[in-house]
Amino acid sequence: MADSKHGIGGLKYDTSKRHWPNEANVFIALILIVLVFEGLGLFTQGNSFLFDSKGRFDSIFNEQRLKIIILQVSIVGIIAIGVTQVIILGGIDLSSGSIVGATAMIAMSFAQVAEVNGSPNPKAIFLEQGWVDLPLIIPLIIGLFCGIIAGGINGLLIAYTRIPPFIATLGMMVTGRGVAKWWSKGRPISFPTEDFTLIGNGFGGWMPVVIFISLAILFFLILKFTVYGKHTYAIGSNEEAARMSGIDVNRHKVLVYTIAGILAALAALVLSSKNLTAQSGMGVMYELDAIAMTVIGGVSLSGGRGSIFGTVLGSLIFGVIISGFTFLRLDAYYQEMVKGIIIVGAVVLDQWRQRRVASRA
Amino acid sequence: MKKNLTKLALIKKSLATFALVTMLTTPVLAQTVGVSMAAFDDNFLTVLRNGMVKMAEGMNGVKIQVEDAQNDVAKQLDQINNFVASGVDAIIVNAVDTSATQAMSNAAKNAGVPLVYVNREPINVNTLPDGQAFVASNEIESGTLEAFEVCKMLRAMGKAGGAKAYVIMGDLSNQAAVQRTKDIEDVVSMDMCKFIKIIDKQTSMWSRDKAQDLMTNWLSSGESFDAVIANNDESAIGAIQAMKAAGLDMEKIVVGGVDATQDALVAMQAGDLDVTVFQDAAGQGAGSLNAALKLAKGEKVDKKVYIPFILVTPANMSQFLSKN
Repeated sequence: MADSKHGIGGLKYDTSKRHWPNEANVFIALILIVLVFEGLGLFTQGNSFLFDSKGRFDSIFNEQRLKIIILQVSIVGIIAIGVTQVIILGGIDLSSGSIVGATAMIAMSFAQVAEVNGSPNPKAIFLEQGWVDLPLIIPLIIGLFCGIIAGGINGLLIAYTRIPPFIATLGMMVTGRGVAKWWSKGRPISFPTEDFTLIGNGFGGWMPVVIFISLAILFFLILKFTVYGKHTYAIGSNEEAARMSGIDVNRHKVLVYTIAGILAALAALVLSSKNLTAQSGMGVMYELDAIAMTVIGGVSLSGGRGSIFGTVLGSLIFGVIISGFTFLRLDAYYQEMVKGIIIVGAVVLDQWRQRRVASRA
Repeated sequence: MKKNLTKLALIKKSLATFALVTMLTTPVLAQTVGVSMAAFDDNFLTVLRNGMVKMAEGMNGVKIQVEDAQNDVAKQLDQINNFVASGVDAIIVNAVDTSATQAMSNAAKNAGVPLVYVNREPINVNTLPDGQAFVASNEIESGTLEAFEVCKMLRAMGKAGGAKAYVIMGDLSNQAAVQRTKDIEDVVSMDMCKFIKIIDKQTSMWSRDKAQDLMTNWLSSGESFDAVIANNDESAIGAIQAMKAAGLDMEKIVVGGVDATQDALVAMQAGDLDVTVFQDAAGQGAGSLNAALKLAKGEKVDKKVYIPFILVTPANMSQFLSKN
C-alpha cells in the first residue's frame, strides 16, 4: 500500500508512517476516564456510573447522568467552539468569560417581564421607559451585537495594532467585566419573558445541548471544507507563508475573533436564559475552561492543528470528570486538582506525540 | 497644600462653632454624625445607608453627613480625619478594608470622638478603645436559623423517623460559607434534628448556574432526599430549577437559603423555596446611628451590638418583599 495516495496535493507517503488522528487518542482517554469512574463507583458505592443499576430508566443507561454530563459543559462548549478557531489561528482569547458577563447583563435587561406575581418586576431595568415584555428578537439581536462589538474590537486590535492576542483579549477581559458591573451597578437582573427562557430551557431542557452540538457540527464542516477553514489553518501553521500566498491575514483575523465573540455572546444568552437571571459575575473563569477543553481535545496552542471534534471530546472529558466526582461524593477541592493535572497532562502527551511523529517523518 | 488650607479653615470654623455652642449652651444641642460608607453603589450597603438617613430625618436635632469612600482605603481615612477636624459628635464607618481599621480607631480616639463600625467587622474588634463599638449581624445566626427551620418543617411533615438532605455550600474561601455550613452541621447534630442525615455537601461558589448543575448531578444518582440546605438563596434557586426540570414535587422537598433576595421571595411565593433568612440592612444602619448617638452622649454601649437575622417563611414573607 506504499503507493496509495494520501496527503495534500497528491503527495505520496508511506502509510506505515501514518499516525492515528489525534482525536482517537482523546477518545481513548475519555473511555479510560469513564472506566475509572465505573470501577471506583462499583467498588465504593456499589453503583454504576453510566449504566442504570437501580432500574430507574427504560434503557440500560442512567439517562439522567448522560444528560447532565453534556448539559453542564454545553454553555462553555459553545464558547470553546470559538476559542478552538482562535487557537487554530495561532491566537488566544481570554475575554470570552467577560463577554459572557457583559452580554448577559445587557441582553437580559431587554428581556424582562413587566409583572411578577401581580406586582411590578422588582428587578426591571427599563420599567420607566416601558421596555418590558419585548419580543424575543430584541434581546437576541442586542446580545449578539454585543458579541460582534467585543470580538470585533479584539480582532481589529490584534490585526492592525499588532499587539499580542494575549494582551488585547486580556484588556477586553477586564473591560468587559467592568461593563458587566457598571450596567446595573452590580445588581442582578432577573425575571425574563417566557420566550426568552426557551433559549436555555427549550426541548425539555436539552436546548443548550442542541445549540452546542449543532454549532459544533456546523463549524466542524466549515473548518474542514471551506476557504474560511483552510485560511484559518494556514495562518495558524505559518502566518508569513499565508500572507505570501495572498491570504488577507488581517481581515481573516478580525473575522475569526468576531466569530469567537458572537459565540461567547450566544453562550451568554443561553446561560442567562437557563438560569432566569443575569449577574455581573457570570462567566468568570469560563475563558480558561474553554481553553482547557480545547487543549485537552488535542488542539495545539502553537496553532495550525486540531479540530472542533477534538474540542467536543475535550468538553465531554470535562463533563465526565465533574459528574464523576459528584458521583463518588468527593470534595470539590479534588475536582479542581484533577482538572489541573489533566490539562497539563494532555499538553505533555501532545508534545511527546508531536516529537515522536517528527522523528519518524 | 489646598487640602491643608481647607482643613485649617474647617478646624477654625469648627473651633468657632464649638466656642459659640459652649457659650450659648442651648437646651437643644444638635448632634452631628459623620458617616463614611465603603461604597454607594452596593445594593445591600445602599439599603443600610438609607436606613440610617431615614432614622436621622425622623429625629429632632440629629444631623448626619454621609460620604462615599468609593472603596478607597486612603480616601476613607481622609474622610474620618476631616470629620474629626470639623468637630462631629460621632463617626460611623463602614470599612473599605477591615484590616486597615486600627488607624481609624487611633485617629478617633486621639480626638476623643466616638466611633462606630457598621456591617463589616474591624480587625481590632476585640481591642476597641472606650467610646467605640461594632454593629452588625452575627453570622452564626443565619445558618442556624435556616437549618433549624428546615428541621422543624421536616418534623411537621412527619419525617422525624429519618430524613436525608443535601447541603450546597458557597465559596469555600469565604468566611460566611464556612460558618453557615458549620452551623448546619451543628444543628443536624442536635438531639431534636439528629434524624436528618446529610448525604453530601458540595460547593456552588454562591452561583445559581453551578448549583443547578450540581443538583442535576445529585439527582442522577437516583438517591431519594427530603431537603436541600443552601448557603445562599441563589444556590437554593439553582437547585429548585434543577429539581423542577427533573419533575420533582416541590411540595415534598424542603429547600432553604439565606439572604431573602427578591428572586428568592418570588420563588417562595411560588411555593418552591421554604426557608430563607433576612439580614437586616436598614436595621444595621439604624442600630449604628443609635449606638453613635448614645456614645456621643457619654452613655455606655456594648462593644459588639448584634442586629438579629430574621427567619423568613411563607408565613411572614410579605413583610420582606420590598426590603433587601
